[in-house]
Amino acid sequence: MQWCFSQVKGAIDDDVAEADIISTVEFNHTGELLATGDKGGRVVIFQQEVENKNLPQFRSEYNVYSTFQSHEPEFDYLKSLEIEEKINKIRWLPQKNAAQFLLSTNDKTIKLWKISERDKRPEGYNLKEEDGRYRDPNTITALRVPILIPMDLMVEASPRRVFSNAHTYHINSVSVNSDNETYLSADDLRINLWNLEITDRSFNIVDIKPANMEELTEVITAAEFHPLQCNTFVYSSSKGTIRLCDMRVSALCDKHSKLFEEPENPSNRSFFSEIISSISDVKFSHNGRYMMTRDYLSVKIWDLNMENRPVETYQVHEYLRSKLCSLYENDCIFDKFECCWNGNDSVVMTGSYNNFFRMFERGQRRDATLEASRENSKPLQVLKPRKVCTGGKRKKDEISVDSLDFNKKILHTAWHPQDNIIAVATTNNLYIFQDKVN
Amino acid sequence: MSESISSARESRCPAVHSPKLRPSPATGDGLHIPHTPDLGSIEAPRRNEKEPRTRRICTAHEECQGHVRSMLGRGVKRKWSSLEGAEAEQLPDATATEDKRPDTALEDSEEEDRGDRWSRTDTSHLQQRQLVLSLCLEKLQHYQAGVELSLRRSVLLINTLRQIQEEMRSDGTDVRLSGVSPDTRLLRDDFREDESVTCPGCTEGDAEGPSPPPSPEPTNTAPTDLQKPPPNAVGHTFSDAGSAMGYLSDLALDDIFEDIDTSMYETSELPSAWAASSLWPVSVSFWPDDDMKPRSSAGSLQSCLLDLNELDHIMEILVKS
Repeated sequence: MQWCFSQVKGAIDDDVAEADIISTVEFNHTGELLATGDKGGRVVIFQQEVENKNLPQFRSEYNVYSTFQSHEPEFDYLKSLEIEEKINKIRWLPQKNAAQFLLSTNDKTIKLWKISERDKRPEGYNLKEEDGRYRDPNTITALRVPILIPMDLMVEASPRRVFSNAHTYHINSVSVNSDNETYLSADDLRINLWNLEITDRSFNIVDIKPANMEELTEVITAAEFHPLQCNTFVYSSSKGTIRLCDMRVSALCDKHSKLFEEPENPSNRSFFSEIISSISDVKFSHNGRYMMTRDYLSVKIWDLNMENRPVETYQVHEYLRSKLCSLYENDCIFDKFECCWNGNDSVVMTGSYNNFFRMFERGQRRDATLEASRENSKPLQVLKPRKVCTGGKRKKDEISVDSLDFNKKILHTAWHPQDNIIAVATTNNLYIFQDKVN
Repeated sequence: MSESISSARESRCPAVHSPKLRPSPATGDGLHIPHTPDLGSIEAPRRNEKEPRTRRICTAHEECQGHVRSMLGRGVKRKWSSLEGAEAEQLPDATATEDKRPDTALEDSEEEDRGDRWSRTDTSHLQQRQLVLSLCLEKLQHYQAGVELSLRRSVLLINTLRQIQEEMRSDGTDVRLSGVSPDTRLLRDDFREDESVTCPGCTEGDAEGPSPPPSPEPTNTAPTDLQKPPPNAVGHTFSDAGSAMGYLSDLALDDIFEDIDTSMYETSELPSAWAASSLWPVSVSFWPDDDMKPRSSAGSLQSCLLDLNELDHIMEILVKS
């Protein structure tokens, strides 16, 4: 599989404004829309142009469709703490009518946004004067029905629901249920279940807060609903475990139905073992049979029917294992990488450092390291596979581990649900790549 | 679906999680205020606000060459670079692992070599342990005013600390001699400095905290309001001043004072409790129990005054003892 550069969005200059740092990327269910959230609380939605779809060598481009400020910074006066406006997650709802809906969340508040188009406006009212004042009804002698005339497309985003005050700790995940009526939100210690229509009430379905906070040793890091079974969800922990819960068993899902955990390889034990085992993302496959987890060094694919070990493990950047102490010192070891599946669950993708991202073709047992950079951004330029040299002689075109830029991390990636189009977020730029079509 | 949910815990906003039991008074370990240890010969780079967040990873080899291709910023010369270099050399051919067996778990036979490296008597292991320990404490201590800490990060750091603790204990290493200052000394120093906290007018000046002052300068996103102590300044600034105490919020502060009172009246164990060679009583002080609302409803000013009185009282006791 070969990938070509398609587009890049965002400022070119190296001086990154903190508000522009991309914090989440998500395609909608058809892939027509691509949403990004940033640290400044804004959401930018790109739309795929459909005109050129027929041209085989030229896939449609994504252009800005809507931009809006989703969250504002807030101040918690009680604790004298600032609540960041950074968008942690965006999740699209399946489309039910002409409008699009998405959930966006910061650390404390989830909002349901409606994005609707307006491309016509009514004209021909005879009730008002030119300046907008209402005419004297006595002067109106005829009934005139206004007609709709086309206007420039206007995309409006309006907040339809605000779900707040249900999380004491920082929200890390939201996931829409397949029933399209409910969704879950997860913070470090609790998971709440919401009805999309009801904002003043949520049900707590998981609570791992110990009675004595001194005993706290594990937090929730990610949660997701099963794509097909509306009663099933999973949540991952900082200790590298994943719990699958069935909401039919009991209303409170503190007791898991399944516990997925791989026994640790004793020869790999180090001071950092627990930190690198912390799962930063969990994603079900589209067919609902597997789930993928991302920890610091690897991506693991689990069969939902087998709890004691993953069925596949892919090393993302094993060369970092000997650098863990330095990565601990500069805090990179706490970076949370996400991962994603392609449309038919045959390939998985995740990010790394130096603006590298990795792809693993499951069936072929092939993997590739690609780079998102301005240097490789000529239109339809094929991406050259990159290679990291770990020791010994460095070959030409290889990059040595010590030359990697740990400031340039790709934490967020997304794959189009049907086509081979991927969105890769560097610090403040969004790259769109598509597979090479001959 | 609604039927099964009806018996679930339902919370009306504002969140109504019923207050959990207060943490039991600290026993044995009591409070601990972690403090950047006297590192002696170990040079751990200190990160202040102005330095770039990430550092370049250097190998001894490159350092010697003096050629630093700093994509990250200036590398800091450290004695540990030799340690990293040693590790890097011992790492088996990882490229082979990556390419040939991308989908297998880490069960390479090469990994067995590592077993030797981790023998307890291994100097490099001890050195690394000391480094990780000091980094851990430094990270736990470093906190920015006005920015809520990541619970995940804190938990991971604490667990690492505990792990090292355990190892040191099983090693028979006397924790007090390990280079990490024992608790009494820290506590005394901190509390002495905190005397000024009792005076609200002095709170601003106290914002820097004890040595080392990783003076938590608010980030650029923090509103200027934070520069002025907000109404519950005393509690908050106390936690600033005793920043070694970590992430105390006003609420957790109450519990700690409660603990002190109780143990003072019951036994005279207090100093020994804190000096327990059993280490880092990694206690509730590390993260605020955010759910608890003992006084929040009473109004922040009231709680401020109450804190003030308690502080006075406690200061008296401590200074006397």
